[in-house]
Amino acid sequence: MHCERVRELLSPYLDEALPAQDRSVLAAHLESCPGCARFAADLRRLARTLSAVGRQGTPPSLQVRLRRTLAGAQPPPSRRSARPPPWPRPRAAGWVARRAAPIMAACALTAVATWWLLSLAEPEARLQHDVLAAHMRALLQESPTQVASADTHWIKPWFSGRVDFSPSVTDLSAEGFLLLGARLDYVGDRRVGVLVYRRRQHSIDVFVWPNPGGNHRAARVVVRKGYTLVTWTRQGLTYWAISDLDPGELNTLQRLL
Amino acid sequence: MSSLPRFEQLALKHLEAAYNLAFWLVRSRPDAEDVVQDAYLRALRAFQNFHGDDMRPWLLAIVRHTAYRWLNNRRRAGNVISIEEAYQAPATRDPAEPADHAPNAEARLIGAVEQDYVVRALAELPPAFREVVVLREIEGLSYRDIAKVTGAPIGTVMSRLARGRRDLRQALIQLLAEDEPNAL
Repeated sequence: MHCERVRELLSPYLDEALPAQDRSVLAAHLESCPGCARFAADLRRLARTLSAVGRQGTPPSLQVRLRRTLAGAQPPPSRRSARPPPWPRPRAAGWVARRAAPIMAACALTAVATWWLLSLAEPEARLQHDVLAAHMRALLQESPTQVASADTHWIKPWFSGRVDFSPSVTDLSAEGFLLLGARLDYVGDRRVGVLVYRRRQHSIDVFVWPNPGGNHRAARVVVRKGYTLVTWTRQGLTYWAISDLDPGELNTLQRLL
Repeated sequence: MSSLPRFEQLALKHLEAAYNLAFWLVRSRPDAEDVVQDAYLRALRAFQNFHGDDMRPWLLAIVRHTAYRWLNNRRRAGNVISIEEAYQAPATRDPAEPADHAPNAEARLIGAVEQDYVVRALAELPPAFREVVVLREIEGLSYRDIAKVTGAPIGTVMSRLARGRRDLRQALIQLLAEDEPNAL
């Protein structure tokens, strides 16, 4: 038997998971091949060392925390069917008193941090909010498009006269993104163009508007309320794609557009 | 539906195994605690689907699934933590581990150093190999049970384990060579 093959089989050999005939062939090889014998000795030593390392010590508090969580998670089914909160609920008033101070401090800290983050990320967060809201509204309508066509040469001229820029419209049906059509929407205090694609049962909106001073910006992915948002800026146009597709697939679309 | 006492009785027995697997997948103690908590809640909700006498593979499969979801979210959020950070405190081990022959102090020291290297090398294995090595070498699971936990066929388990052990050996040789000047 070749050494390469022997070394593959050594692992099950040491676990005694090898059929008898392979076992004896392997044992004979190990007798005669010092290299493989050394390899086998190393694997044995590795196994010994790993079992000496043993399990990571479980924190003693974990069991207590788990018992409390599990008890809180199992309401009598007749009374409540909603999903219970995953955190333990206080049992006695004393608990509240003892925990109140740190909790209030944490709340205050969170509030400050939130305010700080919001003030930093406000324009971006507002856009995300607008895009998400526009997408949701479109899903509520009977049709997400004002003009329904898979023909790029129909969609592109439709935009002229309706918006002050001309988005590039690409046919991606070969890649599994079906062009359904287009519509206008209102995002970030301005009128924007929307290309509507479909992939399997997932609806995708691609919002486009001009960003004259905008430098080229690589795609960024955000997940909000279970929806994936991807944004990028290219050739003076800012794009926001949104869908309930997973981020990988939406990124594919981003690369194709 | 008073399944909670029965669930607790069966599931808490495997808490150490669950935490160990979670730790080796997410490589962070606080995250491992959250993963275990989340996994046990999921297990409780799915408990009526559990039929059988050995709960460990079923439970560990849920822990594993939860840990991977956790990792995905963490990657998406961009908080990737370093292994160094995750593994600052080596597990507290009783220095007087039962051994077949009483080792002298020096041998014990060498043993501890070697364990440290192995832990570092294991932490850097890709997860698909790391998990089978942990389940086999630390948890002592059979190939069949590892297949149940990972959802992979036994043949795949076997080859991942072989590859994991081989890579671990290679990584150890490398670590030892790097530290050669400071070797004992």
